[in-house]
Amino acid sequence: MQVTTREHLTAWLDGLARHLTLIAPKTVEQRVLYRPVADSSEIAFDFARTDLPVKEHFLPPTHVLLSIEKGKEGVRLGEPSPERERVVFGLRPCDARALRVLDALFLKEPADPYYAERREKTTLVGLACREMGEQCFCTSLGLAPDEAGDVDVMLTVMEEGRGGEEGRRYAVQVMTEKGAAILGVLNLEKVEGALPVPAAGSKTPVLEAGAWPRLFDHAYWARLADRCLSCRLCTYVCPTCRCFDVRDYEVPCEGASSGGASNGSAPGGRIERLRAWDSCMAEGYRRIAGGHNPRLTKGDRLRNRLYCKFCYYPQDYGPVACVGCGRCIARCPVNVDVVEVLADVATL
Amino acid sequence: MASNNPYLPYLGTLVGVRDLATGVKMFQVALDDPGERADFTYQPGQFAFVSAFGVGEAPFGLASTALRGPVLEFAVNRVGTVTDALHRLGEGDVVGVRGPFGNWFALDEMKGKDVILLGGGIGGAPLRPVIHTMLDQRADYGRLTILWAARLPSLLIFTDEFDDWRAAPDTALHVTVDQGDEAWTGDVGLITELLEKVAPAPENAVTITCGPPIMIKNTLLTLKRLGFSPDQMIVTLEAKMKCGIGKCGRCNLGEKFVCTDGPVFSCAEIGKFLESF
Amino acid sequence: MGEGSELIDKIRAKARELLQGGRVDCFIGYEEGSRGRARPAFIYDPQDAERLIWDERCAHNLVVYLHQFKSPLRRGEEPPRVGILVKPCDSRSLNILFREEQIERERVYVVGVTCDGVRTNGQPQERCRRCAERVPLVYDIVMGGVPNVLGRDDYADVTKLEQMSPRERLAFWTKEFDRCIRCYACRQACPACYCFECVAEQLDPAWMGIAIDLSQKQFFHCMRAYHLAGRCSGCSACEEACPMGIPLSLLNRKVAREVEALFGYKAGQDAETPPPLATFKKEEQLPL
Repeated sequence: MQVTTREHLTAWLDGLARHLTLIAPKTVEQRVLYRPVADSSEIAFDFARTDLPVKEHFLPPTHVLLSIEKGKEGVRLGEPSPERERVVFGLRPCDARALRVLDALFLKEPADPYYAERREKTTLVGLACREMGEQCFCTSLGLAPDEAGDVDVMLTVMEEGRGGEEGRRYAVQVMTEKGAAILGVLNLEKVEGALPVPAAGSKTPVLEAGAWPRLFDHAYWARLADRCLSCRLCTYVCPTCRCFDVRDYEVPCEGASSGGASNGSAPGGRIERLRAWDSCMAEGYRRIAGGHNPRLTKGDRLRNRLYCKFCYYPQDYGPVACVGCGRCIARCPVNVDVVEVLADVATL
Repeated sequence: MASNNPYLPYLGTLVGVRDLATGVKMFQVALDDPGERADFTYQPGQFAFVSAFGVGEAPFGLASTALRGPVLEFAVNRVGTVTDALHRLGEGDVVGVRGPFGNWFALDEMKGKDVILLGGGIGGAPLRPVIHTMLDQRADYGRLTILWAARLPSLLIFTDEFDDWRAAPDTALHVTVDQGDEAWTGDVGLITELLEKVAPAPENAVTITCGPPIMIKNTLLTLKRLGFSPDQMIVTLEAKMKCGIGKCGRCNLGEKFVCTDGPVFSCAEIGKFLESF
Repeated sequence: MGEGSELIDKIRAKARELLQGGRVDCFIGYEEGSRGRARPAFIYDPQDAERLIWDERCAHNLVVYLHQFKSPLRRGEEPPRVGILVKPCDSRSLNILFREEQIERERVYVVGVTCDGVRTNGQPQERCRRCAERVPLVYDIVMGGVPNVLGRDDYADVTKLEQMSPRERLAFWTKEFDRCIRCYACRQACPACYCFECVAEQLDPAWMGIAIDLSQKQFFHCMRAYHLAGRCSGCSACEEACPMGIPLSLLNRKVAREVEALFGYKAGQDAETPPPLATFKKEEQLPL
């Protein structure tokens, strides 16, 4: 097995940050988020799980799809400039698996070029989990806290070496050619030993996709949704939720995107077509022109969200659209607990 | 990125804008690029996104058929911000077009059969290319019965084509409005009442229904009562959409997406939907 | 807090009685959740009143749920009557909604409960430390013992904000709103945010765009703080709901302090006093 130390890791990361965008866990006020960092000193090496998933760097909360310029010569459409090469450091296996889940949809023909480009230009350096968190349930979905198959390089924290933090050792597994290429001059040492095995957590039964339809009209969903606030945060903190909205906006003269109000466009102006996160949990999400709303009640919407994850997505694209990260469990203000729901559903 | 970006619209110019009904306009779009114009092949039942640049884009059923020319036609009901912006445009203005998307009516399978078309309000728009195709290839199809409805006479669309439709051989047009006005001398009542009156025979027949969800649901019930089987009842559904290519997640009915699995569905398929539209 | 299990029995008995007697169609309280949490409970059946609990984990402001009982449960019926368990802070929200004629007083049976403070993950909530109201301000029946601790609001957090220069304040709020994800959890948890169509989501006119970027987020929070001026009960449901730990309560408290200074008015003290920002008085004197 190959190992490196924290000291060597930080030197390597500093080198990477000089010629590409390094995205790593960073403490932002009271939260830990995957953020671009200038160098390794900004990285929060000891963290459990980031508060937002890495998806925000592949499906950004807001980004430009196209620019539209109306000039005397007519209308000209433009696409955004190419993305920079990036490395994501410290990616947990659940978030890495979530990218595979999103791949099944976004890389399916016709592929989403914005997602595809970010995926292609990003090397994933994972950090295995030594143990599962209190809300984690990745193993119930066939994942493992140390799953290395979804990243390019997997690091696993070993015991502290001599010299405190600096000496802390990491096992290094090179999983892909892309991973091998990025390692470059990282100082590696061959040692005897085995990777630590994470403690096995308890598993919750997850009904397979075909078993969900018969429960669709059950009274359970309306009761569960009584306390739901339609606050939508579950979809935003979720690593696999991806619904989006698209709208055009005039760009102010300075050239900076404002996402601001527009009910038309001035001739000779520049317009951006923006894509932004949206959520199926909002009341008006499915309302069509004329006012008809097929998902009028909270029960309809909450049921749809859970069915989308465990029944529809696997039927349409293959994987279950949940990786057991537990963020929705941690953040739901009214304790809609998907593990509890899965356990309930198995007995309905 | 370039040309295999499914979010990048074609540019088109409005070559005709005319009023169809109160709040409804017909837009005729000629795609600017000859190559794109040639590549844009579509079938009755498909839809495209039309962009009012500066506001956004929305999906509209293609109301034209390629059999009658390269110009794309869209009937647009003014109900929201995008349609309002489109209604402010005139001949010569530039719009964006993305498509064609979705599946289409299996017109080949309808050959030799009697066809009943039921259009409510703006829902008549996707049925227009079906009517045109069948009129242009009249001998291929059996008896053609068109039931057309709107809430008010001023909301009936394609009234300028009614004479053409009626004049075709073995073709009947029945029109009704929910509420008449002083000038109206035709039928007054719901399309389901008209359907009961006309009572088309289900033998060797197929129906296509399009209109507001409540109209579709009630029409299907009436058709069922008249003896039509689920496979004989075709509908085309509407949904709020943002991409048209099955990515944005918005238009699902259960595991089906209106944009990629539809918008054309048979009643048999809809019967298997978990969610009601 | 209160008399422990004896108080819980009283609450359950009351809910059972209200449901059995048909006085209410639904009783909203708290129940045991998963992972040691409490959560809102909706009791429709008298037998289910056994699920109700009451302890320091019961932090949610349940008044927000009254908005979903404004329409009949079934067509042709009257809107449902609802029983609700309220803490003193929640009762302020109730007064605000009664005053704004959003909820009919007769449709709600209010079970007030005295409170010594709630906790999140075992930690006392900041707002409880400075709470001076330990007995609900409106109720049909009040339960619980004489409250132990009486807090005092010294607005120290707001003072700290006010001592910053405008430039420092802008930097502070920019830093906080930067990690906002515009999920609207704050708005959805708030009993006073009940507009059918929020300004933030209106398309015509489009006051805001859909972008989740700093300018839109700042606009949203400032707009919401203004719309809550003189209407915010200080329950902190917004801040508790926020997944990104943004100190939303601080912004609302700053505005509330301004309203108190200008109009001598604190929201939710009663259901009669006209809210100052919805009232015009000729004799108003505002500092120039």
